[in-house]
Amino acid sequence: MSSADFTALLPLIVLSATSVVVMLAIAFHRNHRLTVLLSFAGLALSFWALWPAASVVPLQVTPLLVIDRFSLYYFGLIFAATAAIVLMSYGYLERHDVRREEFYILVLVAALGCCVLVAADHFISFFLGLEILSVTLYALSAYLTEREISLEAGMKYLVLAAASAAFLLFGMALVYASTGTMAFPQIANDLLSGGAAHIWVLAGVAFMVTGFGFKLAVVPFHLWTPDVYQGAPAPVTALVASISKGAMFAVLLRFFYQSGARDLHSTLLIFAIIAIASMIVGNLLALFQNNVKRILAYSSIAHLGYLLVAFEAGGKMGAAAGTFYLTAYVITTLGAFGVIAALSSSGRDAEDIEDYRGLFWRRPVIATIFTAMLFSLAGIPLTAGFLGKFYTVAAGASSALWSMIFVLVVASVIGVFYYLRVVIAIFATENVPSDAERPLPAVHAVGGATLLALAVVLIWLGVFPHPVLDAIHKAVSGLF
Amino acid sequence: MEAIFYIAAIVAVLATVLTVTRLNPVHALLYLTVSLLAVAVVFYTLGAPFMAALEVVIYAGAIMVLFVFVVMLLNLGRHTVDLERSWLSPGAFVGPAILAAILVGEVSYLLARSGTLTPPVAEVGPHQVALALYGPYLLGVELASFLLLGALVGAYHVGSRRAQGRTTVGSRSDRTGLASGGDLVRTGADRPSGAA
Repeated sequence: MSSADFTALLPLIVLSATSVVVMLAIAFHRNHRLTVLLSFAGLALSFWALWPAASVVPLQVTPLLVIDRFSLYYFGLIFAATAAIVLMSYGYLERHDVRREEFYILVLVAALGCCVLVAADHFISFFLGLEILSVTLYALSAYLTEREISLEAGMKYLVLAAASAAFLLFGMALVYASTGTMAFPQIANDLLSGGAAHIWVLAGVAFMVTGFGFKLAVVPFHLWTPDVYQGAPAPVTALVASISKGAMFAVLLRFFYQSGARDLHSTLLIFAIIAIASMIVGNLLALFQNNVKRILAYSSIAHLGYLLVAFEAGGKMGAAAGTFYLTAYVITTLGAFGVIAALSSSGRDAEDIEDYRGLFWRRPVIATIFTAMLFSLAGIPLTAGFLGKFYTVAAGASSALWSMIFVLVVASVIGVFYYLRVVIAIFATENVPSDAERPLPAVHAVGGATLLALAVVLIWLGVFPHPVLDAIHKAVSGLF
Repeated sequence: MEAIFYIAAIVAVLATVLTVTRLNPVHALLYLTVSLLAVAVVFYTLGAPFMAALEVVIYAGAIMVLFVFVVMLLNLGRHTVDLERSWLSPGAFVGPAILAAILVGEVSYLLARSGTLTPPVAEVGPHQVALALYGPYLLGVELASFLLLGALVGAYHVGSRRAQGRTTVGSRSDRTGLASGGDLVRTGADRPSGAA
């Protein structure tokens, strides 16, 4: 490996080193605040390392990883999101009587898995990244071992993720068996020169769609989502919802664009069906929930459906719209689950819709932040969520996906209903519980500041998206 | 060579199906061992003798022994000793023994005809495996080490007794849930909020 290779890998090397340093620090001196500081510093340093790396891209580093602008954009998103998760976990874990420090090692390793996924252009790195992410998520979901529901979430995720990984692996094996290569661009050579796709490739891609679909939690592979979202500790749910899905979407874009599998007619058909089903089922099931975590789980199913509309649209515009939508979605889910984490007590997470009744009159700032996040999820103007939806519809329209756009619009209208249900509860003036009836924990300063920053970014992205859009347009040009 | 491949593959599939369908963990483990050995034969016929050896040493050897140890160690007391005796009744060995005998037959045939049978593809020895792992796939090895790090830290946390918190062991009895026994995992039906 040359020095340019090391420069390109610098963000990943710094991140890996951080997790090792944090582990050693815990071994010598177990201190929650020190662990958080080290983790945050490491993530900030990794973020800084994106600039030296940007001077040498695009670069293929060994056959396994490709560092281009697309990878670097997603690296930045993952580092920033992980830093936010680390900060909001600080106040959350302070309230819990568990060993707190290992949490941060696992979060850092999970972020590493996500980074490997977005930089993977080879089946081996794809699978290794996926497994690094999954294995840490099993442990993180079950982190609060005194809660039965947390253990259940970890167990459920373990069994289902292992099964879906088996599907993915089998799909990869079939594609490899018929094309003789595991590198995405070389698969394209074989697919495009062979004319009609071989039946084994089709079967392989179908199996891989199952694996992708599980991680993205789209219908019909969505059944684990509400239970894991509800059971996992709120900061972990934020991680599952944001960077885990974000990294999976990035590798979905890279695999299907670079391997040429997106040009297969049946791939587009499968994803169209999945997208429409996710938008409808996710929104309809969310209507019947009284648990805020479950509402957000079902809404995430719908949002991944919207994202797949951008994927279906294809081309640079589709990739850019999907990436922007994802950026907005990551900020929004981090904010929403951050609020839940901030309001959770040691016994349980603040997940009942009744927990939020009259919140505005008791905690005005955090209630306003939560409302902004919910408006963004609903796609109301001035928020990043609105622009994301706007670009997605524009990308869909440029590819004449009228039926999908119609479903997207109708589903969004249904979505507004259940987001507003929560908002109405927040602003309710009747039956507002007193502090004695439903005590609210004091919001931790670090977590509160993180939430405020997320809200500012959300609005900033909603009114002035050009710097980010420029970065995204440069990033996705790396895919072609 | 091709016939040997197909027979070993059929044995592997059969043994795996039986592993999944056995209700008794020890019986399932017996079939799993046979399945791993059959996969080793498959590797050999595909021209990967080094992988075949690793499969036997690591999977069928080390990991299976660990499984059996855990299953045996978890069950303590008189009752379970009797239970284990009934699990290991001679009848339970018949199925795995037949499948294993097929594999033994294949391997002895291969040994008897050694040198005259050539694998259909080029053989991959330890030398090439090592060069690939520490050449183009070096990053894969490093990433695998992080996979293990994550798994280790996770297992350490979830499995540790002190994961109950900084309270002493005695105060655990006042907690509901884990200490009261019964299923660790609730099914979706009795969630307070109602599962969809």
